[in-house]
Amino acid sequence: MKKDSRITKHALFRASVVSAAVAGALISFSPVSFAGTGLVTVKGTVAGTYFTPPVNSANPALSTASVTVPSVYQSAKVCFDLNNNAVCDAGEPYTMSKSDGSFLISRIGGGPLVAEVTTASTNSGNPVTQRVSFRLAAAEITAATVSPLAPVSVSITPISTEIVRMMEDTGGSFAAESQAVAARLGVTVSEALSDPNRIANATSKTAVMNESVILTNRFTLAAKMVDRADVSPAALAANPSATSPAISMLEAQQAAMNVEGIPRYDNIFIVMLENKATLSIKGSAYAPNINNYLAAGNQFTSYFATGNPSEPNYTALGGADDFGISDDSQWNCDATGANAPQDLPLPTNTQPGLAKSPFAATCTQTVGVNHNLVNRANLFNALTSNGMSWRTYSESMNPGQDFRTDSVADSAVVATDDVYPPGTLAGNTTTIGNPNLNIPLPAGLYKTKHHPGMAYQNVRSAVEFNSSNRTLGGGQWDSQLLNSSDYAIPAGYNIDQFGTDLQTGNVGNLNFLMPDQCDDMHGITVKGTVAGSTTQVTASDCSSVANNVPTATGGNIITRGDNYVKYIVNKIQASPLWQNTNKRVAIVLMFDEGNATSGFNSCCGWNPGNSTVAKPLVQNPDGTYSVDSTVHNYSNGNRGHGESIFVVLNNQPSAPKGLVDSDYYSHFSFVRTLQDMFQLADPDLDGTYMNRSKYTEGFIASNILDLPEYASSADTHFDSVRPMNHAYVIPAGYTEKQSADISTPAQTGPDSNQINLWSLK
Amino acid sequence: MFFRQAHADYHLIRTMLVFALYMMFTPSISLAGKTELSPAAQIGKILFFDTSLSGSGKMACSTCHDPNFAYGPPNSLAVQLGGKKLDLPGTRAVPSLRYKDNTPPYADLMDNPDGISAPGPGGGFTWDGRAATLADQAGIPLLASNEMANKSKKDVVNTIRLSSYSELFRKTFGNDIFNSTDIAFEKASYALQAFQLEDPSFHPYSSKYDLYSSNKIGGDLTDAEKRGMFVFNNPKKGNCFSCHYNGAGLNGSVALFTDFSYSAIGVPRNTKDIPSNRNLKADHAHYDLGICDRSDHPMPENAQYCGMFKTPTLRNVATRQVFFHNGQIKSLREAILFYNTRDTNPERWYPTVNGVVQKFDDLPLQYRENIDKQMPLDGRAAGSVPPLTDQEVDDLIAFLNTLTDDYKPQK
Repeated sequence: MKKDSRITKHALFRASVVSAAVAGALISFSPVSFAGTGLVTVKGTVAGTYFTPPVNSANPALSTASVTVPSVYQSAKVCFDLNNNAVCDAGEPYTMSKSDGSFLISRIGGGPLVAEVTTASTNSGNPVTQRVSFRLAAAEITAATVSPLAPVSVSITPISTEIVRMMEDTGGSFAAESQAVAARLGVTVSEALSDPNRIANATSKTAVMNESVILTNRFTLAAKMVDRADVSPAALAANPSATSPAISMLEAQQAAMNVEGIPRYDNIFIVMLENKATLSIKGSAYAPNINNYLAAGNQFTSYFATGNPSEPNYTALGGADDFGISDDSQWNCDATGANAPQDLPLPTNTQPGLAKSPFAATCTQTVGVNHNLVNRANLFNALTSNGMSWRTYSESMNPGQDFRTDSVADSAVVATDDVYPPGTLAGNTTTIGNPNLNIPLPAGLYKTKHHPGMAYQNVRSAVEFNSSNRTLGGGQWDSQLLNSSDYAIPAGYNIDQFGTDLQTGNVGNLNFLMPDQCDDMHGITVKGTVAGSTTQVTASDCSSVANNVPTATGGNIITRGDNYVKYIVNKIQASPLWQNTNKRVAIVLMFDEGNATSGFNSCCGWNPGNSTVAKPLVQNPDGTYSVDSTVHNYSNGNRGHGESIFVVLNNQPSAPKGLVDSDYYSHFSFVRTLQDMFQLADPDLDGTYMNRSKYTEGFIASNILDLPEYASSADTHFDSVRPMNHAYVIPAGYTEKQSADISTPAQTGPDSNQINLWSLK
Repeated sequence: MFFRQAHADYHLIRTMLVFALYMMFTPSISLAGKTELSPAAQIGKILFFDTSLSGSGKMACSTCHDPNFAYGPPNSLAVQLGGKKLDLPGTRAVPSLRYKDNTPPYADLMDNPDGISAPGPGGGFTWDGRAATLADQAGIPLLASNEMANKSKKDVVNTIRLSSYSELFRKTFGNDIFNSTDIAFEKASYALQAFQLEDPSFHPYSSKYDLYSSNKIGGDLTDAEKRGMFVFNNPKKGNCFSCHYNGAGLNGSVALFTDFSYSAIGVPRNTKDIPSNRNLKADHAHYDLGICDRSDHPMPENAQYCGMFKTPTLRNVATRQVFFHNGQIKSLREAILFYNTRDTNPERWYPTVNGVVQKFDDLPLQYRENIDKQMPLDGRAAGSVPPLTDQEVDDLIAFLNTLTDDYKPQK
């Protein structure tokens, strides 16, 4: 039974690995004949990078950064790939690369090259644990030919491989695709095609090496798919229960760029908004900009939060579990013994320079849930472990503050009230706000509960933690922030590092943008005074409104947040990064949680209802899973908090727009999607997906004895996680479950199309 | 329902596979796990059912908090009879002890678990919140002369010391535990709390509503129940959810059907069942003023809290036979009708004296501004149309019946 289930599941996942369109394109490739007449001699190098992953220890003293160095591959089998199948077949002329990575190979008529790096090869002397196949286009040899009499000098690299893959994907020429890669990386074509070791310009060299690391991982996954004989996506597209033929290397190299149907993006910006049910935003006159983005972009309409209140939701966004956290308390709460904080000293007001810190040295709560997650998988560590980067950009922090503390009030930083002339706030007929109201910076505009990495010890202990926490501009107090008196302001303090990074491109692959608690629609008490008066007057647009406030009632803070969204989207869209469409860049507009006073609180990996039986799973050395009973009150978590809007915008001119995917997704689905987008996991190995993001229907079924919270499910699709790829066709006659956060009738039957909302073209 | 329409892709195969596996493991549809009680909770369980812990020798905690009635009263008495001879009426109606595990201590400005309502009086145990914890609460009936009527803490501790479980008590709390009456009493209270916190029977989450809201087989609501849920959640109709909050709450709890808040709704005076209410002479009339009855909330400083009582959970409300703090209302339908027609037909609920309806007869005039004005008690005029139609009342009752634990779905 179990064996059958595995086979079936393997076959199943592959159906979604590559979209039918891609599979169709692949089928059309046929062996190409390279029947030139002249002798082609190539004197080249098999080159790439050697990546030493970071050490993301819980103990900051033991944590180290990753190191990437240019490398050459020794004992790689280099051949003319006469039938263009990315494999050195018998009969194809080949040679082996030498200790310096070099090779010399000749053939009349030339042809494309393949370098098969195997476990017998070495990477600058280091062992290779999984084979990988690199390629180089015949047209690259032609382009590099200086004289018919001289050997052609080329480098077979991950990037030369990527160019071949792109040519096969788009049908584009070598010239076009090599220029596209170079433009994406911000380097010259010659640099892009070069052995990284030979790139003189340091910035270009870094860009090429970073890309090389990512591509090496992707093409290694491709070879792995071939080695384990995954079923051909083309065959699965034609017949979902096909068990053969096996995937080809060409197919696998495409599939590795489209893991579970989620295309590779270079950068994603996730704009985090707070506490609004779908019904409070959709159609609201208080949120015209977001509604424009809903219409202009693509939207997921059944997107569920996974916790209540903020902190569990952000923690889930950081790693697909909240581990029982069910409040907004400080990250050291009930963190004792093995869970005790290791990034010491704690940022309390006894520390030098932190006299104003609000951080409490101890925190004990009745419920006794640990708030410091030690050695738990998370997106941040996973990204850096795979040669990628992350940023959290947070607005309205105190200059010089410790990122691990909430921001504090500052009477020296005074802004005026936001003023809304008639017609600028849900059709207001009179001015809202008082231009003479002076408002000192309130406490808590920046809160650590709204940081998706904060609960993870190994994120706070990572070497890049401080440098990856950056400022986000656009705040009401920005122009006065440098008057701050709370902490020593660092030299050259940049109030809007995000704006700078957008210009330089020095953003992360994954970027969480956290507006302050006024601009994110959360709301706090903000008061000021008018000159000559001591009367405290409340600011015009930062008072909370209910998570499920009706659109008719709305709230000034919704318009404030909506305006901020427009500011941030405009800023991203005006940046050279977004404008460079060789880069694939996405913006997500989402809320941490909705409301759900009735109906379904969550879905997709949730802890249903008030189930008290949920426990996390740990993978054993033999690949099986066991229950981890060590997390006190784990079952308090992951119970959800309703539905909110979720918008995706991307910068690809030919990407489909106006799409709607109404399948069920949650924060766990989103984390799975991000793991696919950045190839942080292998869809064939459940255990490579972090925490609850691995809870697919198949996984739950296989482990139901250890996942009793899912016993007697009335709708297993609803309970389980899937990537946000729109692959599931909602059956005719099926009426969707929804929470009270959606005021429109539940949809019955499938969506109008199944196009993936992340599609690039 | 489970087998969605067959369709030509791989999901059918997967669904069948998953179905087969899920069906192989359906040991229980309860969402509560089997829990091994801690030693303290095991003692608490014994104490809870021990009738010798009363002056009458016939009354245990479970006498009033009957496990067969969701740990609430097993009968229709507005207040239970207690005391040494079991002839003294209690002070207030007995609340259910179920679903108390997430109740925070009382605060005048408790943050509402809905995360958004303005802070207000909330939390604590008993109808007025005077007990901060379940352990504190346990001491109250043990020592009340009209309830379990032990003479003193020493009396209680002595009974335990001489009981068959005194050795277990010593073993758990220390050999010298009986040397200090105060500490031993504290431990007994703690044991009762541990039992209530740990034993799943105090929070079984086994109602039809739980099956429904947690996506379990057997949880499909009927049309009437669905309509009733809409009445419950509709701010313009029942608006029940605004206090009997059924969303996500404290400590990850969901659908407790209370936000622990306090409200003055002007429940009619119960003169029939509560002797102290019979004295209506103005100069020393007794009024049960809820929070204001607490020694730490004296009048007049706390006048704004007078008449406020705690919002109970509505889980298992259909198993009750007495409603509100004074048990004046004797059926669920009547309770809903009180909400629906208190303002439109006050004569139905309050006595008429000399042709004048004595509305809010159990709340002195000076505190009547404390009366909650939320729907459905929006203070509409007598003779106007009630908020709910008869059909909506029926539907609401149907919905509230889904909140009863130990629901067995029909096969």
